[in-house]
Amino acid sequence: MKVYINGIGNISPQETWDNTKFLKEVVSSDDNRLLCVEPVYKEYISPIKLRRMSKIIKRGIASALIALKDANVENPGAIITGTGWGCWADTEKFLLTMIEQGEEQLTPTAFMQSTHNTVSGQIAISIKCHNYNSTYAHRGVSFERSLQDGMMLCLEGNKNVLVGGFDECTDNFFTMLGRVGAWKKKTINSLDLFNDSQEGSIGGEASIAFIIDSNKTDNSYASIDAMTTFYKPDSDEQVNEKVNEFLSSYNLSPSDIDVVVSGNNGDSKSDAIYNVVLQEFPEATHTGFKHLCGQFDTSTAFGTWLAAKMLKTQSIPSVVKLNDVNKVPSKVLVVNHQNKENYSLQLLSKC
Amino acid sequence: MAELEEELKSQIIESLNLEDIEIGDIETDAPLFGAGLGLDSIDALELIVMLEKFHGIKIDDPSQGKDIFESIKTMAEFIRAQKA
Repeated sequence: MKVYINGIGNISPQETWDNTKFLKEVVSSDDNRLLCVEPVYKEYISPIKLRRMSKIIKRGIASALIALKDANVENPGAIITGTGWGCWADTEKFLLTMIEQGEEQLTPTAFMQSTHNTVSGQIAISIKCHNYNSTYAHRGVSFERSLQDGMMLCLEGNKNVLVGGFDECTDNFFTMLGRVGAWKKKTINSLDLFNDSQEGSIGGEASIAFIIDSNKTDNSYASIDAMTTFYKPDSDEQVNEKVNEFLSSYNLSPSDIDVVVSGNNGDSKSDAIYNVVLQEFPEATHTGFKHLCGQFDTSTAFGTWLAAKMLKTQSIPSVVKLNDVNKVPSKVLVVNHQNKENYSLQLLSKC
Repeated sequence: MAELEEELKSQIIESLNLEDIEIGDIETDAPLFGAGLGLDSIDALELIVMLEKFHGIKIDDPSQGKDIFESIKTMAEFIRAQKA
């Protein structure tokens, strides 16, 4: 089920939309939340269409257009997105207006754009793409589900499939998740995320699109050789068993992996499992990424982006390194979990 | 007499989030849809809500919409007629 990543568009808290750059300048935050650094959207979307779009829609369309241009593709064979919470700002706007105006005089735009599949639909409308269009809202594996669907479509012969993940962190969203303990109580600098011992993580957001295909091109970043997910393992040991099973099913052992991209999010309740997994890879360079994008349901897409960029550039930025092992990336394992429930593993290779 | 027209222009800019448009850019006689401001059917729904919200006028017959929302001038005439 091997596919190639032939184009990328990444709008995140880092200046990642410019594919010629790779974390040379790092953006940090001191308020436990990393928000997107926005490109100039008028370069991608006409002003008359832009005026109606909330930030997440602008980001979704722009990241898709950047990925398509990067892959030199005009019309993708399918558009598949994943999102945990969908278009939250529009949902908030619609619900707040209902309350404020006593369910009277409600405007249609926010309601129409509040659904999870808005971004997929708006991408299709903007490029007049009538092909397969789907959105997965599967909590912490929403991006993985879109990737899985895209990989299967490629296996069936579809060309240039656009897959992606997007989520946004509005003020209200950040406050509400804070009430259930999602974020750290004391504020930290985002770059200190992995050194902080408090429970909770930092909020984040991004919109990341990939063009995948069965065929390699001159612009290919990496191949995604395999991907799997599993739910609520019984123990930390069982996570290691799953990782070993995954690798051995592709005739690999931990020593074959050059770089592990782990989804550590600084939460002392749930990061221990990453340490258990990383101990199995003493010869690999260990890297993290959530100090650059924050924690959100589709943040694994940022990990996939990091793996693909490392494989294409054959470099590992110092800001993502978690240990002192220096390997040249050839095979990268991306390990992620959300709340010790939704786990995913991705295997990427240099191409 | 032009006060209502200016008020409508301001409300349209706000309701439709016309970021780069100022009151002076909207001609009172110019068509709002197609040419002119280039509004579309979703904007028409927003304008119906705007009339109700800011002027307390409900449009019961949707077929009237095309004539009422032809321009700022026709909108103002409709509001004045309703309030007379």
